[in-house]
Amino acid sequence: MFEWLNQPFTPMTVLGMVIGGVIVLSVILLVVAYSIYAQRKILAAMHLRIGPNRVGPFGLFQSFADILKLLLKEDIVPAKADKAMFLIGPMITYVPSFMVLAVIPYTATHLFTAELNVGVLYYIALSSISVIGVVLGAWASNNKYSIIGGLRSAAQLISYEIPLALSILGVILMAGSMNIVEIVEAQKNMWFIVPQIIGFSVFIIAAMAELSRVPFDLPEAESELVAGYSTEYSGFRFAFYMLAEYVYITAMGGLAAALYLGGWEGPLLPGWAWYGIKAGLFIFLTFWLQGTFPRIRNTLLMTFSWKVLIPISILNIILTAIIKIAVA
Amino acid sequence: MAELRTEEMLLNVGPQHPSTHGVLRVVIKLDGEIIREATPVIGYLHRGTEKLSEDLQYQQIIPYFDRLDYISAMLNNHAIVNAVEKAMDIEIPERAEYLRVIVGELNRTAAHLLFVGAYLLDLGAMSPFLYVFMTRERIIELLNEISGARLTYNYMRVGGVKYDAPPGWFAKIREFIPYFKEMYQLFDDLITGNEIFISRVKGIGSYGQEEAINYGLSGIPLRSTGFKWDLRKNKSYSVYDRFDFEIPVGTNGDNYDRYYLHLLEMEQSMRIVEQAIDSIPEGPVMGKAPKILRIPAGEYYAAVEGAKGELGVYIVSDGKDKPYRMKIRRPSFVNLQIIPSLLKDQNIADFIAILGSIDIVLGEVDA
Amino acid sequence: MTEESKETTVKPSAETAVNTETQPKEEQPDPKKEAAQKVLDRIRGLIVQELGDHVLEDALLMKHQPTFVVKRDHWLQTVQLLRHHDALGFDYPEAMAGTDYPANGYIEVILYVYSMNHNELIAVKTRTPRDNAELQSLSYVYQGLNWEEREIYDLVGVKFTGHPDLRRIMMPEDYEGHPLRKDFSVWKE
Repeated sequence: MFEWLNQPFTPMTVLGMVIGGVIVLSVILLVVAYSIYAQRKILAAMHLRIGPNRVGPFGLFQSFADILKLLLKEDIVPAKADKAMFLIGPMITYVPSFMVLAVIPYTATHLFTAELNVGVLYYIALSSISVIGVVLGAWASNNKYSIIGGLRSAAQLISYEIPLALSILGVILMAGSMNIVEIVEAQKNMWFIVPQIIGFSVFIIAAMAELSRVPFDLPEAESELVAGYSTEYSGFRFAFYMLAEYVYITAMGGLAAALYLGGWEGPLLPGWAWYGIKAGLFIFLTFWLQGTFPRIRNTLLMTFSWKVLIPISILNIILTAIIKIAVA
Repeated sequence: MAELRTEEMLLNVGPQHPSTHGVLRVVIKLDGEIIREATPVIGYLHRGTEKLSEDLQYQQIIPYFDRLDYISAMLNNHAIVNAVEKAMDIEIPERAEYLRVIVGELNRTAAHLLFVGAYLLDLGAMSPFLYVFMTRERIIELLNEISGARLTYNYMRVGGVKYDAPPGWFAKIREFIPYFKEMYQLFDDLITGNEIFISRVKGIGSYGQEEAINYGLSGIPLRSTGFKWDLRKNKSYSVYDRFDFEIPVGTNGDNYDRYYLHLLEMEQSMRIVEQAIDSIPEGPVMGKAPKILRIPAGEYYAAVEGAKGELGVYIVSDGKDKPYRMKIRRPSFVNLQIIPSLLKDQNIADFIAILGSIDIVLGEVDA
Repeated sequence: MTEESKETTVKPSAETAVNTETQPKEEQPDPKKEAAQKVLDRIRGLIVQELGDHVLEDALLMKHQPTFVVKRDHWLQTVQLLRHHDALGFDYPEAMAGTDYPANGYIEVILYVYSMNHNELIAVKTRTPRDNAELQSLSYVYQGLNWEEREIYDLVGVKFTGHPDLRRIMMPEDYEGHPLRKDFSVWKE
């Protein structure tokens, strides 16, 4: 029922698709809700605070209360805003964030996963659509903090996409495929984090910048730009931006696990559990950095991408190619 | 194709903004992300302390001073009582002088701790803020025990201090000092060496000695240029001349120096506290001061080293029990003036870094 | 506190005594006072030598504090001399304040300047009539006086000619009146 890619288009397969979609979406929402909860708890522990502890046992339902609150809030559109663009901005950011999840292989059985031959390319291409929503929303808000945040965001995401893609190129060279499932399977003997340690370092840094996480949280640098591009947003439109951000963290964790950490591979535990652990490690890393670092200077941000990360990742590709030829 | 049309953007930062430290408003002209002109607008917290003082007796003015630089209220207390005592030539008991120094230096440490936390928060690091609050909390508790308040102490009186130290208070400070040193080391290890932090503060927002003096800067903004100027040494008041401590100075007058001097000064303040609790004499804490204070007619100026710089009080008296005119030289107010020239042609990201490093408290700026 | 309660009972009797106690300090020669007198004489000599006898209205000691009362027209000139003359070098503006004296019909502006080289603190002041109160601005001599002058303009109502940016600083821009003037009242009749 759930193998629809190579089956005729019948009502049964459509039903299967819908059920599968709903299951994936709810699982992801659950993961996102609890990664927000985990972030608050982990940061609280690092800050010597308690963190959320009022809603449900240990504050376990805090995220749902927050989401409910945001959904019930008034949807305010500033009088001088470009209304149509203002309303559409969060959607453009939000939709691709869920679409990229299609290629993340959670389990060895590829349940609900599209085995795309251009999986990596698909991920990078879609995730870069999100920035359009950010810039659009920022521009339409007609707010000066928003516009600075939006433009910063555009500049940052575009320049860090390049080292991100280049660092992944090393993995693609190693695996000889752009299909993420095949990349995972190519890591049966050795995880790519070992031969691709340079690429992995570039990937982690570029990923943090792509996700606008500390220390690269300039687009929403609260001490300078109040809330960056989402300053004028409230209610569920703001929730869309927030959700997109956290879905991307989850997706990026999934991508990192698949590309460098051997995906679902691992002893004893089932594949999805290993996958969860590996992606979880990445998610934890983002929170850990948030508790540790100050924000980077924005002049340094661009220089760092163009003058440091890109040369290193190109070097990594050349090294990978040489090693691959030498071994073969 | 015609040249791309660009225009300067006017950005109004504050008075409601997360990191203008209260209700400061700065109108900045932006060219892209470069600040072309910055104009601070103040007065949102103006309560007219100087005007109110004209209708109050000297002892009644003290609580109003608490509310100037509200994070170092003890030092503000010291400024007003010191000015009145100097004007009237009142001698106060030794023990009271020592207590003033102890609470003053503890409060200075608390204020500097808050600066370190808030500054890192401005730069996007949240954790240090909560760590410094933990340490500051211990100091606030100590001050609470002796004065009965956590923020606005109203502890000093003309002629001495209101309360003697409660039993066991000095022992608690003795316990606190090693804890402080440990935390101090932690801040130094975690923050000072951080590469990202250094890149945001080193060489940013620097000015020279001459400029600083011409602007009338005092406190750490002046000392960061390498100029040794601390009223505790240069115009020694109270019993500061009895203690062995140093005045740390910077070299470049940049954000980093100003940040690091706050750390170093805390260390020196603790040194003073240590010596003071070891040598504090027994005796009364309130001297012979008349209940109704009448300063002889004339004009007087006396200053103490506040947490932000020279906190001076100028009193014009016509011989009555209330000042005819009182002017408070607020260091934050004077130090803030250098902001427009520092911000010119800086990146907007450095705006917060520079503003934060000058260390202002709006209660004092607006008085 | 036992000491506390003792204090309050002692006070009423001490109250009258202290006022007379603080007075007779002039009798014995005070070394502090003599040193201040020396500073006063030296600086007065220098001012008179450079600018002439007519710029100073008075030079006196306000409780160990050398104070010079400068004529209004020579305010900027005198302060410039204090700032730039090598033997004076008063380079640090410590405090500035304006005081309203309606009984005498003038507003007095006082400036405390410190010399970092000579370690001397002096006060210079000048007087301007209350109506159309006007003074030359010192903000080009000491940049730090920019806001101090704005504050005096705002609260006491002295106009500083030549000030680069003379606006209200504490009160709103459309505010009427000057709160630190003695005849100021919030109740508008």
